Parts: sequence; structure tokens; C-alpha cells
Amino acid sequence: MLTLKGVYAGYGGGDVLRGLDLSVVPGSVTCVLGPNGAGKSTVLRVVSGLVRPRDGAVLLGDERIDQLTAPQVLAKGVAQVPQSGALFPRMSVRDNVLMGGYLIRGQRELLAERYSAVAALVPLITERAGTAAGNLSGGQRRMVEIGRSLMLDPAVVLLDEPSLGLDPKGLAAVAELIGGMRDRGKTVILVEQNVRLGLSLSTHGVVMEGGRVRLHGTAGEISGHPDVASLYLGALGRKA
Amino acid sequence: MTQAVQTVALGVLIGGVYALMAAGLTLVFGIMGIVNVAQGAFLVLVAMLTWKAWQVTGIDPILLALATTPLMFGVGWVLYRLVVVRVRASSPAMSMLLTFGIALTIEGLLNVTAGNYFRSATPPYFAQSFTIGSVVLPKAQVYGFLAALLVLGLLYLVLNRTWTGRAIRATAQNPSGAALVGISASTVAALSFAIGAATAGTGGSILAVLYPFFPASHYDWIAKLLGIIVLGGMGSLRGAWVGALILGLAETITATYGSPRWSTVVFYAVILLVLIVRPHGLFGTRLREDAVA
Repeated sequence: MLTLKGVYAGYGGGDVLRGLDLSVVPGSVTCVLGPNGAGKSTVLRVVSGLVRPRDGAVLLGDERIDQLTAPQVLAKGVAQVPQSGALFPRMSVRDNVLMGGYLIRGQRELLAERYSAVAALVPLITERAGTAAGNLSGGQRRMVEIGRSLMLDPAVVLLDEPSLGLDPKGLAAVAELIGGMRDRGKTVILVEQNVRLGLSLSTHGVVMEGGRVRLHGTAGEISGHPDVASLYLGALGRKA
Repeated sequence: MTQAVQTVALGVLIGGVYALMAAGLTLVFGIMGIVNVAQGAFLVLVAMLTWKAWQVTGIDPILLALATTPLMFGVGWVLYRLVVVRVRASSPAMSMLLTFGIALTIEGLLNVTAGNYFRSATPPYFAQSFTIGSVVLPKAQVYGFLAALLVLGLLYLVLNRTWTGRAIRATAQNPSGAALVGISASTVAALSFAIGAATAGTGGSILAVLYPFFPASHYDWIAKLLGIIVLGGMGSLRGAWVGALILGLAETITATYGSPRWSTVVFYAVILLVLIVRPHGLFGTRLREDAVA
């Protein structure tokens, strides 16, 4: 169980998360929805240790992880795929994926085993193994980023807008990957602007507004909820 | 013909030593975005230590690199942890000011303790040469070149064949991506600053034999090294090699066929011409990603 309790966090210019409470069931895929600026990505960064909360707690099982560094959180089995630009552009695709196993670098066999497993899951990794990651298209990079995050066989995977900038084929491939994670019992938290897509991949949904959780339920409950539409429309109205 | 071969051979020998000295500078810049202006002062400091140790013990100055290189690795590590780390999040200008301050401090200390006059370590082979056919190669130049080559080879192996090296390269290319796979940014930064200083360890011991030096020589050296890495492409080790060879060749060719006075001017003219054609330097590469950004 991953739990956030009364979390306040931000980037120096005030809090983005204002007393956020959230519980994520193991083995679930939770889609975090909400208008721009609601704090969706910040939730992921707080969990992965990239942003340290000003107040509140993040618990993995019974253990507090909110005071750990990003590499320490990763070692606990929580991997994050950010919105973009997580790869090493001048390294080959193969080396990029292998770097995902940096924390198990001492265990050669395990590393090779994981690499084969990830390459089987993401065929692109074998097809473009020697290509510099910086020469891949945006969608291809996304696939490699997600593949790389699986090198440690994490229990929890945090995906920030995996559909961003993908063509339909890329979307289908990413959706298949997320489905595969769900089937293998991984806990996934997914931030997604594309409400329909996000909820179709998820077991649970969370709607955020103003740094707090507004709604939390199963994916079915959330997609049928009348407030979801109004929240988004309201956000659009304010933006315009 | 002999003269041409001789000139090129000497240029390559000098270039190899320059390459080692510039490697540390370009590595630190590539990984941390810090222009370590104190690299020249590190060289002169080590040259002075080498000279002193050679005077007292009589041990070969270039062999003393076996001691000065790990020593400077330690100095670099401590300097990073105590001082440089404080400007990590600041602008590059701050790190230049800080490292310039370190350079001035080293220069001042050397002035006070060692005195402001030229020195040079002169081991027995100082005035001897190898003669291959009609080409004459000074022994000191050859030994210096070989020592530089050895350390550059080791550096290459560490960077390309070890996990530490991969972590360093990964951090250079994408610091936040490196954090996401569990690489500790502060350890990598300290390590690369220490490696940069260590190259000045070997470089400084070689310098003690090949060039007369005094405390303020570091200005000339840092100017040359910056020229090399700008020419080669900031952050590129391959670029440092090529830039260093061009400087070595420009010096020997101008000195042989023109006048030694013009050798530095010719090198800077080459830099200007290259930057007009290739603003990123010779090896500042562009990827699909850069074109988008």
C-alpha cells in the first residue's frame, strides 16, 4: 500500500500540494486526473523523492519514504518515468536500458536476465539497440524510457503522461505495456491528460484540483461521475 | 623532408601532453558545466611539488606522477566537497569566479613559499635525444608523451568500460535522467572534479620537466587549455585530443617555418576560423534531439 497523508509540497514559490491524502492499493493502476496546475506531476515527484514534502508523510507499506533521496526511493522499488527527456541522448538504446539497472550493476546475471525480459516486452529495444537515444522519435523514446524503468523490476511504477505526443500506433504500444504491468501485478500510478485513455487503462481514478484530491474511486465510478466533466470544462473556461 | 617529419613528430609529442592537461578541464565542464579556471594553477602547483621532490629525493620527475596523480585526486575531491559544491546550483559565472579565486590563492601561496622565479626539473636525460634515422626526438618529450598517453588510455577505459564511467557520462548527458536510475549526482560530481584534478597531477609532473615555470605561469596554461577545449568542442574528450594536436602542430610548424613568437598567435587564429565555420567547435555534435530543442 502506498499512502500519502496530508502532504504539502512545492517548488519554493508556494505549495502546489495542499494537504493531499491518497491511498493506492497494491496491484492497482491508478489514473490521476485534473486540470493543468492541479499538482498531478508533483504527486509523482513527491513519491519518487525528487521533491521533498514540506509537511505530511509518504508511506510505502509501513515505512516512511518521504525523507529519502531519489536513488534510495528507487532502491525501495519505486521507479518513475517523467514526462520527457529521461534518456541519455548520446548513449545507445541498449546502454540506456542497461543504465536502468544501475543499482543492480554488481549482479551481472540478474542484469542480463532483466535486460532480456525488458527487451522482450519492448521490441524496439532490440530493433534499435545500437541507435543513439537522441536520434529516436519522441514516441520511440517514450517506449525506451518505460522499458528502462522496468529494469529493477519495481513494485511501483510512476508514469507521467505516457501518451504525450504519441501517434495512435505509439499510444497502442504504450497502452499494451501498461496493461502488461497491470497483469503482472505491478502498482502503477499514471498521470494523464487524456481522460478516456487514462481511465480505460486503469482500475482506479483520482481527480485532483488545487493540490488536493477531489474525487477518488474505481475507474468506472470516476468515468461516470458528472463532476469530472465540469472540473475539466471549468478549468478550460478559466484558462480562456 | 626530414625537417617536416621532425616538426610533425614533435608537434604530436607536445600535443599528447596538451591533450592530457585539457582532458581534465573538458571532463569537468562536460559533467558539471563548470569551467575550472584553476586547472592551470593545479598544473603549476604540481610542477612545483614535483620540482621540490625531485630536488630533495632525486626521483625522476615524470615518475613522481605516480605520487602526484593520486594526491591531486584527493585534493580535487576535498576541494569539491568543501568549496566547489557550494556553487553547484549557481550560474557558471559563479563557478568561474570561485575557481579563479582558487587559482589566485594557489599562485599567492606559491609566490610566498617558493618565490617568484623560473624553475625547471632537469633529470639526466634532459639534454639527451632518441635518434631515429635522421629524426631527433628529445627523450623528455618522448617520456612525457608516453606518460600522458598512458593516463589518457586509463581515463578512456574508466569512462567507457566501467559502471563508474557510465555513471559519469550519463550525468554529463542528462543529470535528472541519471538521478532517476539511481546515480548520486553529488558523488559523480566529486568524482569527476577529482579525476580532472588528477589529470593535472600527471600533467604537472610532466610540465616540470618540459617547460620552465613560475607561480604566475598558470595564466598562460589556462589560456592554452581553454583554447584547446573551445576548439575541440567544450565537454568532448575526442575534441580535446584533436584541439591539443592542432595546438602542438601549430606551435612546432610555426616555430620551424616561421618564428616561435608567432606560434601562439597562429593557434588562436585557427580557433577563430574553426568557430566561424563550426560554432560548436570541432566535436560539439548535434543530435535529432538538439535540432528539436
